[in-house]
This record gives sequence, C-alpha cells and structure tokens, in this order.
Amino acid sequence: MLGYISNRIMGLIIVLIGVTVLAFIFSNISSVDPAEAFARRNILNPTPEQIEEIREEMGLNLPVYRQYFNWLQGVLRGELGTSLLTRNPVRVDLAEKIPATLSIVGLASFWIIIITVPLSVLSAVNKDSFFDHTLRIVTTFGISIPNFWLGFILLVAFAIMLPIFSVVDYGSLKSLILPSLTIAIPMASSSIRLLRATILENMKKDFVTYAKARGISKNKIIWQHVLKNSLPPMITVFCQYLGYMIAGSAIVEAVFSWPGIGSHLVSAIIARDLPTINGCLLIIAVIFVFFNLLADILNSAINPKMLSEAGEV
Amino acid sequence: MVKKILKNKQAVLGLLMILVIAFIAIFAPFIAVNHPEEIDPAEKFAEASLKYPLGTDQLGRCIFSRLIYGARYSLGIAVPVLFILAVVSILTGTISAYIGGGFDRVFTVICDIFMSFPPLLVVLSLVGALGQGIFNIMVAAVFSMWVWFAKVVRSYVLLEKKKGYIIAAKIAGCSDIKIIALHIIPNILPSLLVYFSTGIAGMMLMISGFSFLGLGIEAGVPEWGAMLSSGKAYLYSRPLLLIYPGICILFTAAGFNLFGEALRDIVSPEEV
Repeated sequence: MLGYISNRIMGLIIVLIGVTVLAFIFSNISSVDPAEAFARRNILNPTPEQIEEIREEMGLNLPVYRQYFNWLQGVLRGELGTSLLTRNPVRVDLAEKIPATLSIVGLASFWIIIITVPLSVLSAVNKDSFFDHTLRIVTTFGISIPNFWLGFILLVAFAIMLPIFSVVDYGSLKSLILPSLTIAIPMASSSIRLLRATILENMKKDFVTYAKARGISKNKIIWQHVLKNSLPPMITVFCQYLGYMIAGSAIVEAVFSWPGIGSHLVSAIIARDLPTINGCLLIIAVIFVFFNLLADILNSAINPKMLSEAGEV
Repeated sequence: MVKKILKNKQAVLGLLMILVIAFIAIFAPFIAVNHPEEIDPAEKFAEASLKYPLGTDQLGRCIFSRLIYGARYSLGIAVPVLFILAVVSILTGTISAYIGGGFDRVFTVICDIFMSFPPLLVVLSLVGALGQGIFNIMVAAVFSMWVWFAKVVRSYVLLEKKKGYIIAAKIAGCSDIKIIALHIIPNILPSLLVYFSTGIAGMMLMISGFSFLGLGIEAGVPEWGAMLSSGKAYLYSRPLLLIYPGICILFTAAGFNLFGEALRDIVSPEEV
C-alpha cells in the first residue's frame, strides 16, 4: 500500500513538472504582446520606449526558457507574480477567489452524492420499472442540458417567478443553492447512469448469489455488499468531476455573477493578464491532479485487491 | 447493425432528432423567413407575428431565423472537430498501443500531463492565447480533447492486440500496417463509434458554453450560445430570448445522446 502510494507520488511529480511546462506554454503562445497590452491599459499613448521599459521590468525580454525558470522558482517559493490587471500579487487574488468557487463546488458535491446514491440504487433494484424508465429520460435531459441555460432557468423560476432567492446575491449560504444545483444536476445525471450500470453489473456476480444463498436480506445485500463493490469507479469519476466542476465554474459563475476563480480566469484571459492565467491554470491543474491521486488512494483503501489488478496500469 | 438500429426505438428517435437538425442546418436559407443578421430598429422586441414567427430580439432581428441558422454553427463546428479528433486519436492511440514498450510509456505520460487539465481549461487558455474566431475554437477543442479520445482508443487496441486472431495474423505473416488497418481498427470501430457519438453532445455543450462566455465566436453571429449570452441582459423583461436558444441546444444534444446510448446498448448489450 505505502509502496503503491509512493510510486503514485513519483509519477505525480513528473506529471506536475509537465503541467507547469504546459501551463507556461499555453499562456505564451499568443500573438498579443502582453507588455504592449499592459502599457496600453495604463498609459494613454505609450511610446515604444515606454513599452520596452515595461517589457524589461516584467522580465518579458528574457528568452522564454529563462522566463519559465524564473516563474518556476517563484512558484516553488509560493510566489506567482503580480497580476497585470489588479496589480495585486496573483497569490493574494487567488486566495480570495478560490474559497468562493470551492464553496459552490463543495455544496454541489453534496447534492451529487445525496441525489446519485439513492436514485441509482432504486433504479437498479427496480430495473425496467416505470421509475427506472422515467429516471433514464430525466437523466438523458440532464446530460444534454447546457449548464449555463439551466442556471438561467433556475434563476427565472426561483428568483423571478417565485422570488425565493435573489438574482444577484453573494455571501450567504442561501446564495449558494442555485449555483451549486446548476453545477450538480448535469453531473448527478451522468453519475446516476454510471452507478446504476455498475450496480447492475455487480448484481450478477457470484458473491451476490452466495449472499442470497446465505439468507441475507435483499436490502442488506444491495446497500452493503453491492454498493460497496460498485463504489470504486464512482470514486474515480467523482474525483474527476471535482476538477471539471472547478474549471466549469467559469460558466456558472458568469451566470450568477459569482466572484470565483473561473470568472477570474476568464477576465484574465480577456485582459491577457499572463501571470494570473498561469497561476489559475496551475492551481486548477494541481487540484485536479490531487483529486485523481485521492481517488486512487481511496480506491486502494476500500478494495486492496484492485492494486494487483490495476495497480500498474 | 443498421437493422438493429432501426429496431431500437431510442436509436430511431435520436437519429430522427439529429436528422431534423441536419436538415434545418442544410436548408437554413429556405426555412428562415428573414435574414438572421438583418437589423430592424423599428421592430425591437416585436411580438410573434407572420413576419417574425417568434418575434424579434433587442436589435430587431428575427429570432426564428437566427435559431434556424444557429443549427449550422452548432453542427458545423462540432462535426468537423469530431472528425479531426477521430482521425488524430485513432492514429496516435493505435500506433502507441501497437508499438508498445518505451514508446507507449512516453505516450502515456504525455497523455497524463494533458489529462491533468480539464478540457474546458485547455480550451479557455488556448482561445485566450490564439484569439477569438471559430477556427481557433475548433483548434482549441481538438487540442484539448485528443488525448482523452486517444487514451480510450489505446485501451481498446491493447485489449484487441492480445486476442488470438491478431496473433494468428502475425504468424500468417501479415504486415503490421495490414493488421492495424484491416484487423484491429475494423474490430474496435463499433465501440469507438459509441464513444464518439456520445462525445459529440458534450462537445456541442462545451462550444456553446464558450460562445456564451464571449470567447471564440464574434458578437452578432447567430450561434445559440452567443444568442443566450446577448439575451442575458433581458433576463427579467424577455426571458423568452433565453429560453428558445437553450431549447435548441438541449434538443440537439439530447438527439446525439439518445442515439449514442442506444448505439452502446446495441454494440455491447451486456452493459445495460
């Protein structure tokens, strides 16, 4: 187990180095000159000399690999540079935005879990019943719905027609409900399908027949034995969803005017604010990688046998 | 397989929905009653009428015609992207899995690095870097998703490679290219088809999400996501401006999802 985890962490370090290179490349392949963009934003009519001055000041005149190593050194010290847009350290901006996004994502995860588990068990147990078919139709809509549109529909329904929530609201727990549901509904729809299919597959296995033969009640078999064995693929997918939700928050945050990391990234992209773009990319990728690792560790803890089957893949 | 598809109600329904959208996209100029970008300042927010079947938007443009032309953008972006993705991922995934060894290991590490960015994030940063434009968003979409597809292709090939008939073909002296092109790819194609057809819906949702954010597609273009974005300001007064394009996106994505899932039931019935 420990050997497995340390192996995974070694792999993780290689991936993280690749992530920093890629994050840096992404934000550097551009026809827009960030020094010029910065100069135009802050000086009315910048002369070429002023632009050059800014370029040197920001270190943009150095060769790309030197810029990368300078940036990487900073990253290792926890310094992500200074935002060209807000002029705050990127670290400070991110520290301010991340909790807002994480609170939506956290609540959304809660919804996903409490919606997915009971519904998929019910629909797997009553396979081909009316409930199962209805759920299948509902989840087909759920995975086909554009989440920004869902956000608007929820706003129109619950903030305008039935004024339970206010349209622009930030800070209270209540204000989290609509954005988190907007993220959770499509995700829950696809995870219901996955969990239902996995449960059905497991119900055909020998251990279920054996448990039945031992006279264990059907409920106990489903909720304890089958569910436990159906969790590993769910955990993997769920941890991936967490990364998707953080990246996808850009869209939902735009609908609900929510000041999170996603909308921060979009405004940084529009303003060509390189240090902020790099910082956001890095943070989101690190969170994503971290959750993937967490999924593997959780899975190996729940079902150590999987290591011998899938450990080296 | 065609027979099985026609027997499956869900597949037929999905296919019909896709065909409706494809028909609308192809014959848009004949279906639309007005030009989608024609502005009529005297007719802002007009009610539904014979001239404007669904009324007009904030600039007096015919909503119905814009929705019709939107089908062109939706399919016109998603289908070519998927095609390029399919070619790239089948080539790279098959070659990597077939050669195996160190080459495959390097390929897997590259995949892992790319996969540590959620696709949305890659597209966001690439569109930010390359600038606006439909072509750039297509490049970004291919670039962000190819590894995910390639990895699936790779895993299918790895499974297929071990099977007896491939070994038999090798012993019979079949060349590697022949084995890949004539044996492996035709055999994994049905499973890939399922994966791609469900992938297309996700891609359409992602691309409309981008134009909603104002990235990728120029303002004024009758793309459904962009229409939603410009209708955002009239959330209170004209919620219909938001509802129509959303229904169009939902309809198209649902068509592809229904078809893709029915296809999966047909190709691998044991998973249902």
